[in-house]
Amino acid sequence: MDNQKILSDLSKFLTPEQINTNADDLYDARADRYKKYAKAKKVVDTPSPTAIVYPKDAEEVQKLLEYCNANQVNVIPRAGKTATEGGLENWKEHTLVIDCKNLDKIVKIDTYNMQATVQAGVQLQRLEDELRPLGYTAGHSPQSKPVAQYGGLVATRSIGQFSTLYGGIEDMLVGLECVFPDGHISRIKNVSRRAGGPDIRHIAMGNEGSLCFITEVTVKIFKYYPDNNKFYGYLIKDVDTGIKVLREVVANGYRPSVARTYSEEDAKQHFYHFHEGKSVLIFMAEGPLGIVNATGEGIEAAVEKFKDGIVKQVDSKLIETWFNHLNWSQQDLDDERQGMIDNDKHDGFTTEISADWETIPKIYYNVVNRIRNEFPRAKDITMLGGHSSHSYINGTNMYFVYNYDIKAEPEDEMRLYHHPIQTIIVEETLKLGGSMCHHHGIGKYRNQWTEEEHGSAYYMLEKLKAAFDPNGIMNFGTIFPQAEGVKYQQLDKQ
Amino acid sequence: MKKALVYIENGYEAAAIDLLEVVRQVGQNCAFETCALCLGGNGTAPEGYFDRVIRVVQPSPEWHDVLSITNAIEELHERDDFDCIVILATPMGRLLAPRLAMRLRVGLVADVTDIRLQDGEALMVRPAFDGKILAGIVSTGSKPLMMSVRPGVFSYKGARDKATDKADFIPMRASPRQVELLEATKKKTFSDIRDCEVLISGGGGIIKGFDQIQPLADELRGMVSASRRAVDNQIAPRSIQVGQSGKMVSPKLYLALGIHGSMQHFEGLRDVKHIVCANTDRYAPICSQADIVVEGDALEFVNRLLARIRRGKESKG
Amino acid sequence: MKIICLAKFIPDVDHFVYDYERNVLVRENMDLVLNPDDACALAYALALKKNRQDVEVEVLSMAPLSLLPNLKELLRLGADRGVLISDAFFSGSDTYATSCIIARYLADAQYDVILSGTHALDGDTEHVPVQVAELLGLDHMAYIVRFDDDSFLNGTCVFESEFDNANARFRVRLPCVLGVLAESRYKLPFVRYENLDLNVDDRVTVVTNEELGFSHEEVGIAGSLTKVASTWQPQMKKKEQVIVGNDDEGIETVFQFLKKEGYMP
Repeated sequence: MDNQKILSDLSKFLTPEQINTNADDLYDARADRYKKYAKAKKVVDTPSPTAIVYPKDAEEVQKLLEYCNANQVNVIPRAGKTATEGGLENWKEHTLVIDCKNLDKIVKIDTYNMQATVQAGVQLQRLEDELRPLGYTAGHSPQSKPVAQYGGLVATRSIGQFSTLYGGIEDMLVGLECVFPDGHISRIKNVSRRAGGPDIRHIAMGNEGSLCFITEVTVKIFKYYPDNNKFYGYLIKDVDTGIKVLREVVANGYRPSVARTYSEEDAKQHFYHFHEGKSVLIFMAEGPLGIVNATGEGIEAAVEKFKDGIVKQVDSKLIETWFNHLNWSQQDLDDERQGMIDNDKHDGFTTEISADWETIPKIYYNVVNRIRNEFPRAKDITMLGGHSSHSYINGTNMYFVYNYDIKAEPEDEMRLYHHPIQTIIVEETLKLGGSMCHHHGIGKYRNQWTEEEHGSAYYMLEKLKAAFDPNGIMNFGTIFPQAEGVKYQQLDKQ
Repeated sequence: MKKALVYIENGYEAAAIDLLEVVRQVGQNCAFETCALCLGGNGTAPEGYFDRVIRVVQPSPEWHDVLSITNAIEELHERDDFDCIVILATPMGRLLAPRLAMRLRVGLVADVTDIRLQDGEALMVRPAFDGKILAGIVSTGSKPLMMSVRPGVFSYKGARDKATDKADFIPMRASPRQVELLEATKKKTFSDIRDCEVLISGGGGIIKGFDQIQPLADELRGMVSASRRAVDNQIAPRSIQVGQSGKMVSPKLYLALGIHGSMQHFEGLRDVKHIVCANTDRYAPICSQADIVVEGDALEFVNRLLARIRRGKESKG
Repeated sequence: MKIICLAKFIPDVDHFVYDYERNVLVRENMDLVLNPDDACALAYALALKKNRQDVEVEVLSMAPLSLLPNLKELLRLGADRGVLISDAFFSGSDTYATSCIIARYLADAQYDVILSGTHALDGDTEHVPVQVAELLGLDHMAYIVRFDDDSFLNGTCVFESEFDNANARFRVRLPCVLGVLAESRYKLPFVRYENLDLNVDDRVTVVTNEELGFSHEEVGIAGSLTKVASTWQPQMKKKEQVIVGNDDEGIETVFQFLKKEGYMP
């Protein structure tokens, strides 16, 4: 099996426009945002895929998967390209990146039944733009919204900035269609709820391309109330206070659309105009007027209860302005890339974890202390902090952020900085029973801990993989560790 | 009577005259015979300020020929035995002074910005650690006391009408020169915003009038820079983009015109001394960092400020 | 061809911490870094070495022994030899004494050119390279922003220097001493992961007063012709913000501010 043969075989059922072998595009497809710095500096060590292909419908996806399954070709399903954990990284010489570019139809918007059906290549922003004039919203707003597409948003159990009100993708997904390596196409129908055996949607949702290829999804839509938004911002003594207030609000039954608390250093970069060296707490209430008012009262009561930890309230206008400037755009990504090429720096990395209310602050402090004391290049760190941005009745997440001066050649950056820091975060999280991965997906760069993450339940994941992808062609290295990939992961002892 | 020698570098005559003030302060008002040393043609400027003006001729060393200038002053010193030699801390002055000091085997205090009296002694003050510390220095050892002094810091207010004695000096000793000047070109503008001390930066709030920023930059001897919004709208080149992904700059003065001040823009500003913002929204994050916030349209601010500066120049001249 | 690069390790002035309450610069735990101008000079020398087989680069520094690790890092980047002039005897030397010490070592050394930075960010006197040149009887030029591509062939070097109002191109005959500016943007690489622990001990030499033979009066505090009598910090005030309108009064405020702070020529 060689690349020429693959390309020749593909041309039998795909048109030339559907097969991309442009060298720059293939180089770009070697890795995702996890290796953004190495990519900008042109020192990515993983192989280029054989080609990027753009199927027009589920039947063509079926043909592609059958072909790859029969010929041991690695498959990387790809949509918006916003992956940050190596999920799109290529570890095989013979690989097809199957891109959803042509699966771009908005199939149906049904405002009576509150559902929208879209193909996997539809950008979330595009759907949102169609819904707003009708008075509705997708409710899903990750920072990658203008760029991310539905295939990836469902394949990685994504979550958005307003999740405390609307939930994560798992609360929004209705039915879907996906294709398996053996060519089987499964359509899961759209119903409001079902007890038809285990919930099989979860085999596709979150699979990160390791079990099947998602071609179409149906999601719930929500009524949009833009006029009632209420913003609250506070400077607080520490992250602990922030978490206590978050818990109070959510455990008491309120669902603000935004509920976040930032540690000092993280606050400093986001809110340099008002942070005053403190931690920051932010709320936004959204929805019908009565609910917004009641939510506001709930927030105010919670803040009052913990007023000893509250330093002062911040002008709501500042919070509102900040929100309106938050999301990425394609220009942001292009500019970021150029910046990395021109300068020896990137804007830092993130590792997002989750745990219950009691455990999250412990993990936070353990991580920060351990990094400061143990990480050999701690003095190169320019920012180390975290924020909690998604709360549930029984816990919350912690999104660690870390920036550093890169005093190393681009090829050595991961080994000397990113990995040691990420390792500390994951270890401290797993030690206290939290999850090492709240919403970015395991990808390839946390797969060495997948088994520890799942414990005895890992058995269930393994069986799924064996059943649906016995030849191991689906996104080699994602979720399930592979010895062959260790050299790309640069898992050296430090 | 003590003797002081001031070296007058071509192009810096006015600033060199001010060095007489340093001589007065460090000598604590004791009487000096002041002598100015010029190279070649230029001899008229210091007349009236100095007791003597000496021109080095036959040959007159070129401005970059530190070795020959050192030789000439050494010979002159052998003849006249100065108590104090002061040199302006221009780029060439900063190369001449240490060479001469080593030649004469004396100490040298460089880049003096102030003279302070402590316990009856005159301390020569200079900045260190990139200006974050001031050090007061004394010179031990034999005369002459040597200093290089930062231009524009001292101001001479003494006599301008002395009867100046003019003379030519022909150096005897020549050294073989190793450094040859091939060409010199006048610098018109800075080439990189990172090296510039004054930046006038345009953002989303001045997109329509971006090309009208240059005159203000010219008046303030600075460069125009831009936020990402301006670059994305293709009215400014990426080479002048300030920000985390653009260039990190540390000017003394940063004028933010119609700039919101996102996190990534702010990351591009390092150690800026003064910030002035013009913005219709005074809650824009960057305004929180400014010394002065002008609440209003940025373009209008530019035009008004330009008019005020030009009026100021007219009344002076 | 042999290049000797003078290297000075200075406190990291970028990450300085100011204590507003006690009005002092916090000097404890300040990192020592290679002076930026010197780093450019060395970067250029190493780049030259990469392109030409016959170039040998020696890094020369005068510092306490605690700087030996810093010097070794530079060898891991590709410099051939590192020499540290170090002796407690030299401690307290001003630029004059320092220049005498360095020049005595160089008097017996072999080289075609001595490269250094122009300014050092801490003291910023620019004295040492010039005074070393004087003691060695060599010519000197500084403020170099660019070397010509075929420099250092045929015993000459052509380069461009930047001054206040003009740029100038020079040709020098070797040997001589040359000072580079950080604005030249020659960039030092980083030590590669596999070389982080490389043992370079056999390429490092420590030179003490035993080899140089100075007397007590010639070096250290006794040999210094200038002394620091006292230091103090310029007053650092917290920012006071003024908000004005886009009217005559507001413009006048801005104008007067710019004038007072010296931005108006």
